[in-house]
Amino acid sequence: MAAPIRILTAVPICDGHDSAINTINLEFIRHGIEVVYLGYHRYAQDIVRAAIQEDVRAVGISSYNGGHVEFFAEVVKQLKKRGADDIKVFGGGGGTITHDDQRVMQRRGVDKIFFAGTSLTEMVQFVHDHYGKPRKRTARKTPEMQLARKLTEIEDSYANRKRPKKSGARTKKSIGETRVIGFTGPGGAGKTTLIDELVLRLLQRDAKSRIAILSHDPSVVGAGALLGDRATMINSQDDRVFMRSMATRGQAGGLSPATEDCLQLLAQSGFDYVIIETVGTGQEAMPFHSKLVDQTVLVMNPDYGARLQLQKIVMLDLADVVVVNKSDQDRARTAASEIERRLEQNNRGQRLLSTVAKRHRDPGVDKLCDLLTQPVAAASKKGRKK
Amino acid sequence: MSKLGRVVEAVEKYNGFVEDEVKRARSDKKFGQEMVDRWNEIKAKIPVGTAPTGLKLPRLALPEIDEAGDITRYLLGDGLPGEFPFLNGAYREMYLEPLQQPPIETGAYEKSGHGGKAKLNGSKNGAKPQVAEEPTRLFSGLMLAEDTNERFHFLGAHQRSKRLSTAFDGPTLYGIDSDAPGILGKIGEGGVAVDTVEDMVRLYDGFDLGSPDFSASMTISGPAPIIMAMYIAAAKRRFGDGIVPKLRGTIQADIFKEVQAQNETIFPVEASLRFLTDMMEFTTREMPRWYPVSISGYHIGEAGSTPVQQAAYTLSNGFAYAEMMAARGLDVDDFGPRLSFFLDCGLDVEYIALTRVSRRIWAIGMRDAFGAGPKAQMFKVHTQTSGRSLVAAEFKNNLTRTAAELMLSYMNGTNSCHSNSADEPFTTPSEEWIRLAAHGQAILLDESGIFKHTMNMLSGSPGMKAVERAVEAAILEEFREIERLGGVMGAVENRYQRSQIQTAAHRYEQQIYNGTRPIIALNKYRNDSEEMPEFELARTPRAKQQLQVDRLKKFKAKNARKGEQALAKLAAVVETDENCFPALLEAAEVCSLGQINNRLQEVVGRFRPMV
Repeated sequence: MAAPIRILTAVPICDGHDSAINTINLEFIRHGIEVVYLGYHRYAQDIVRAAIQEDVRAVGISSYNGGHVEFFAEVVKQLKKRGADDIKVFGGGGGTITHDDQRVMQRRGVDKIFFAGTSLTEMVQFVHDHYGKPRKRTARKTPEMQLARKLTEIEDSYANRKRPKKSGARTKKSIGETRVIGFTGPGGAGKTTLIDELVLRLLQRDAKSRIAILSHDPSVVGAGALLGDRATMINSQDDRVFMRSMATRGQAGGLSPATEDCLQLLAQSGFDYVIIETVGTGQEAMPFHSKLVDQTVLVMNPDYGARLQLQKIVMLDLADVVVVNKSDQDRARTAASEIERRLEQNNRGQRLLSTVAKRHRDPGVDKLCDLLTQPVAAASKKGRKK
Repeated sequence: MSKLGRVVEAVEKYNGFVEDEVKRARSDKKFGQEMVDRWNEIKAKIPVGTAPTGLKLPRLALPEIDEAGDITRYLLGDGLPGEFPFLNGAYREMYLEPLQQPPIETGAYEKSGHGGKAKLNGSKNGAKPQVAEEPTRLFSGLMLAEDTNERFHFLGAHQRSKRLSTAFDGPTLYGIDSDAPGILGKIGEGGVAVDTVEDMVRLYDGFDLGSPDFSASMTISGPAPIIMAMYIAAAKRRFGDGIVPKLRGTIQADIFKEVQAQNETIFPVEASLRFLTDMMEFTTREMPRWYPVSISGYHIGEAGSTPVQQAAYTLSNGFAYAEMMAARGLDVDDFGPRLSFFLDCGLDVEYIALTRVSRRIWAIGMRDAFGAGPKAQMFKVHTQTSGRSLVAAEFKNNLTRTAAELMLSYMNGTNSCHSNSADEPFTTPSEEWIRLAAHGQAILLDESGIFKHTMNMLSGSPGMKAVERAVEAAILEEFREIERLGGVMGAVENRYQRSQIQTAAHRYEQQIYNGTRPIIALNKYRNDSEEMPEFELARTPRAKQQLQVDRLKKFKAKNARKGEQALAKLAAVVETDENCFPALLEAAEVCSLGQINNRLQEVVGRFRPMV
């Protein structure tokens, strides 16, 4: 089975018209395409950075607020400038993009403009026909682009059921100072927002730090995936952050078959922090078998139900840090004390924090950041699990 | 329970009350006779007008009923135009041409303006009968302030009252300055570029902002409090401080619908609501003629909601704003009359009665859940025909679509209306098509006899009643779901409205593609040989965009020191619980939109988009 096509979609800066792109994304996903959705109101620069890091085949831009000739051309120009002109640019804007505009845009390197009345089927077909063939192996210019391409190769080799050759044992020996932090927890607990707020603080505290994020979203059964974390992770769209969105491609448990190898590569690529986020997980999940993860954070929603439910959550035994997010909710105090008692049973020195990640400058997130930036020995870490 | 739960109860209770009174009118002879007498009295007072053909017609048409129960159901359940629960209209008379002869009885028929402000009585002081404002209000904004100003003068040339409706460009809507890197192509596209108080002065140059015949509408929400402050600052520059209480107009400022549908939000929701409430508190106290929020379903509809979702989310947002204002200690009878609405009118069958039902629910909710008096019960609404219903294929059909939507809008008793230009699928409308769109309204209201002779001309058909009942029940069901999610704020955080709208939008597209929703010339009677027409597009030339950038840079240089002081003061106030609008007013004199926005974001954070 061939690897799914990965594309990136976005709406330009100063444009909030996301109705069309939402519909198109759904249609792409249903037809086996993995869509990294960057969201609306996005600068050309953010689109280009994301396209390169995600190593997509093409960028689809949906524009309804004018200025499209300049905007599309700017994306093409910046891709070219960074040596990524094999990433194609296509898009549309209902009736706002005229045939005259299209001619100018194509002259400036835009691959394809869809006009009003184009069926969704035609668009899907176009993507399959034009961006589905294997790429020529071309040398990538920058280390970032080389890293992005290697990640693609790892993912694709799993999709082709050819596991890559192991490059030595999976240990952290060669990693140096890189700290790998794993985030997991049920869907809707606010993992993505929490990580993004953490990234904001990590970037602010050290003007030189570089961060990698490996984010997971579920694949639709037998189809593509909507990889939408970038749309809400506003602080992580930064030149010092390398973010990669992965679909689970049929594997249960919160991660993708290729995660382990991708993580190893990232951990050896000179970042100060590598953050890995699972999809929303169930009670029995224990996604981080890997010895590569230094610290694990379980993010909980105060609304987990009766206290008995806590006994069934396996990660409560394994996580180094447990965060009760949304702690502005009524049930949060009860939740925190119930979880505290549950952690006491383990007697492993696990840490418990309460946060309101959606709140600007939340002191709870500050504390989490403090905890995760302490030297590993000083943190609750007591040897590697399993 | 949030107030929305109380609204649901109030409507259910009121409907029960009406049916009880109907039974009572039928069983209690004395009460029944009272209702019949009242009915006859109302009928006797209705003046008679004359059509140009000589035909005599009553100014108000009523159903042909004479049985006490039916009369009771009509008077209490629907209400006469201008009477609770306002199903048939917010005012007694709307769109009617003046009577040729003085009314029969002075005071019996006090005429009210379409916009609700002009309480005019033709027979007082022996003055010439005054005429209410035209309901036409066309949305426009393009390129730089002086270009839009020219367009405003062109549009208003033949109107007695100057009712301007302002569209802003993308950077302005997102609070970004024109000199920010990466947005040059967006300056003046889709609306006018406004960065500073100086742009605001240019934008409304030549109009008397304090005149009772002038009103300005500004369609902007994310940075609305900042833009409002700039408008006030510009007015003061031109007319002095005394102008403030006379300012008349509307600013959209509807944050809930931005988060639910339109995506032009720049601060986190709670911070946006705080800035908004600060502004509303200021205008309620200092600017009694201003509408500080236009609770908008239009963008919800355009984002793809069903008509019922549009009405339900808009109304519930309105009740949430009312709840916020009341929590500030403001009197519902002070702020209630300053809440106004903005709805989308498309071609789906619900639009036969959507606004009528909305008016009724608002009135009952405000009266019975908020304790509002008559003026605060009135749902005053601006309608715009649906942009989404217009298509590029054989675009001249859009004239017919818009005409049908106009008809529906006026059948619903809209207080003002914008008719879209047929060329809208392609571009900012050109003058030729704007003119046709405006003429469409004039043909309906002035030329045709449909609306100018008789109130209730098209109200209350059996079909319309059926739609009313179905729509009302569906809206209440949506309210219940929102209430279950913790009220409007809770539902927003659960992204309930967004996901409902997206689902409806997806279904709509699928219906177009599978042909179950016929769109003429697109999926039915399609003409594949058609060439797309080439328009002269209203694009902003590069030189103009550069001019805007240069002006802004000059402004910033000139005000650098004072600007920084004003921003520091503003930031300090925002950190407290005080109303920050006065500090915002000071900042608007010497700071650009982007400067203020950036400083506020440092304090309260940025909006995190919901997908």
